[in-house]
Amino acid sequence: MLKIIDLKAEINGKEILKGINLEVKPGEVHAIMGPNGSGKSTLASVLAGRDIFNVTGGKVIFKGKNLLEMEPEERSREGIFLAFQYPVEIPGVSITNFMRAALDEHRIHKGLKPMDAAEFLRYIKEKKALVELDAKLEGRAVNEGFSGGEKKKNEVFQMAMLEPDLAILDETDSGLDIDALKIVANGVNKLKTKENASIVITHYQRLLDYIVPDVVHVLYNGKIVKTGGKELASELENTGYDEIKNDADNQ
Amino acid sequence: MTNLNEKKAELINLQRNNSSPTKKDLLIEIQNELNKLSLPHSKTEEWRNTNVNSILNHKYILGKKESVPLKYVNTFSFNEINADRLVLINGHFSDEYSHFNKTSGIQMGSIKKNQKSNSFKKYYGSTNLYKSNFFAAYNSAYAEDGIFIHIPENVIVEHPIHIVNFIYGNNQKTISQAHNLIIAEKNSHAKILTTYHSLSEDFTFNNVATEIICSENSDIEFYVFEGEGDTASIVNNTYVNQLNGSKFLSNTSTLCGSLVRNEIHIDLLGEYCESDLQGIYFPDKEQHIDNYVSIKHSKPNCKSNQLYKGIIDNKAETVFTGKVFVAPDAQKTDAAQSNRNILLTDNSKAHSRPQLEIYADDVRCSHGSTTGQIDKEALFYMKTRGIPELKAKTLLMTAFIGDIIEHITVKPYRDYVNYLVNKKLKGQEPESLCHVKICPACEK
Ligand SMILES: Nc1ncnc2c1ncn2[C@@H]1O[C@H](COP(=O)(O)OP(=O)(O)OP(=O)(O)O)[C@@H](O)[C@H]1O
Ligand SMILES: [Mg+2]
Repeated sequence: MLKIIDLKAEINGKEILKGINLEVKPGEVHAIMGPNGSGKSTLASVLAGRDIFNVTGGKVIFKGKNLLEMEPEERSREGIFLAFQYPVEIPGVSITNFMRAALDEHRIHKGLKPMDAAEFLRYIKEKKALVELDAKLEGRAVNEGFSGGEKKKNEVFQMAMLEPDLAILDETDSGLDIDALKIVANGVNKLKTKENASIVITHYQRLLDYIVPDVVHVLYNGKIVKTGGKELASELENTGYDEIKNDADNQ
Repeated sequence: MTNLNEKKAELINLQRNNSSPTKKDLLIEIQNELNKLSLPHSKTEEWRNTNVNSILNHKYILGKKESVPLKYVNTFSFNEINADRLVLINGHFSDEYSHFNKTSGIQMGSIKKNQKSNSFKKYYGSTNLYKSNFFAAYNSAYAEDGIFIHIPENVIVEHPIHIVNFIYGNNQKTISQAHNLIIAEKNSHAKILTTYHSLSEDFTFNNVATEIICSENSDIEFYVFEGEGDTASIVNNTYVNQLNGSKFLSNTSTLCGSLVRNEIHIDLLGEYCESDLQGIYFPDKEQHIDNYVSIKHSKPNCKSNQLYKGIIDNKAETVFTGKVFVAPDAQKTDAAQSNRNILLTDNSKAHSRPQLEIYADDVRCSHGSTTGQIDKEALFYMKTRGIPELKAKTLLMTAFIGDIIEHITVKPYRDYVNYLVNKKLKGQEPESLCHVKICPACEK
């Protein structure tokens, strides 16, 4: 589904991604861990099409297409979804209007007619239930004045609405209380099918107890320095990154 | 300065003497004031960022009592709201197109026809608009007609009153003046809608003055829509006196025009008044739009709010000046002010000037001003959900000025403004819905 080959990216002349290789197949869950500032969010942003990052090398193939040539909105319609580490406030635009606009675009792209009002309301209600999004948030502007946890829930709600092929969840667990974490993880699991895949960026084993990864990668200093099974995450939880850092730095 | 004096003399010479409906003694006083006043120039503080030369550099004729085809009057009317309609063409009242008196007891029509009424005599000029403001003084001295509305005590006007203003040069550069007087007696309530449209390609200058008297506990909603064409300039002075417990809302939408200068002066003469002044402006060519708002808190316990937002595209330039004066004994004043601008291009410009003069100590005054580009982070976020750039921008900007449009309580009018704003956001000319160019030859 997704193939990243030797991807390099920089910002303001500073290289952040230094040759990433990663392949994600349908039905898989990949976890990416790694110390602060190692480039995890940058990778997610580059995949979503953030233009402040300059791709200086490599390739990304998504469902057989050259992802890097597409605008962010095309990537979304093709099936990429990024749950932001820091969701952005959209002042004055209600969640309903926002999702209406997004869903219409996705449906047009798929050759479907936009939903009528009743159909849309039913759909949005169903998806809200999935992440137990507070009804009070419905009329409010997207993320405006939301608590940290509400913002994260709202990301997963949007993911549920758009049903992506590849979801990238950037620290969606941070800021969630224990109950909310379960709800969100549950939501993600319910959305999982044999055809779709996800990349879960996290610092904590805790999330991976709920969303069990098939593969765990460690990103350090712009490179994937270690890859393993789900046990790698619990190992790191105990040992920290020191050893991995040392090994990588000494190479 | 000689140039300015010449210009002033030229403007005055254009006008007919003795055709103002004003009482003799007041007229003399107004003319004395006018004599003392100079046209604004580069050193005039209140006009610092607005150059009137684009208005003054033309030789005008005085607007005639033209007739315009009915279809245009209908285009710019809101039939659904069943409003009382008062039509001014080049500042002259049109008997033909005006139809009113849907609510009994209200006196309305042209000021010419109402100049003998006691309330006209009592209130014309009573907001002191002719003191210290050249264009308002010029208007007060020479405007021949305008709209007169008198709402008696306890009358609630159910239908909005729509004043439709046309300026039509008919192949000549034209100056037009209207002087409107609106009197709301105690406990009365009315919604007044004034829209401005131009009907010609020739350069026109509309110099409007409106006086509004809000008596005790009256409640007036005053909507202004400016949709004149690229060759039409307007100086629109509104002076409001508010007495105890009165509420005044003004909501202005400026979508087109050449040079637009709106001044609103609120004099809070009573206690427990509320004044809510809102506006949007959305120029997208080389327009210059200037909103000057001044609120004088003379008495305690009043509340005022200024909220102006602009989207400025292309090479347009805007100015917002928000003045709040709080007199020493105007304790418990609550005054808020906010001006926010989004610049869509590098060549667009917005000046924002809050001016607070506070001489009382127990007050709440806040002001804020922001000018910036459209939020790139928000745009990217929206795009990652599949929304294309243009649509995302439209959503953001609609939301940005939408809260001001939402305050419009006359639904068909609100829909009209929303419709035009959305059209503009999509980069389409609102043209024929704001202003048209009549071609006299084709009409015949
Ligand atoms: N807009 C930017 N301008 C300059 N530097 C940036 C920008 N965005 C990211 N960086 C830098 O790129 C590096 C990687 O940042 P990134 O956000 O990808 O890290 P991360 O692995 O997601 O960290 P965290 O675990 O703290 O979220 C950091 O050194 C960061 O300072
Ligand atoms: Mg990060």
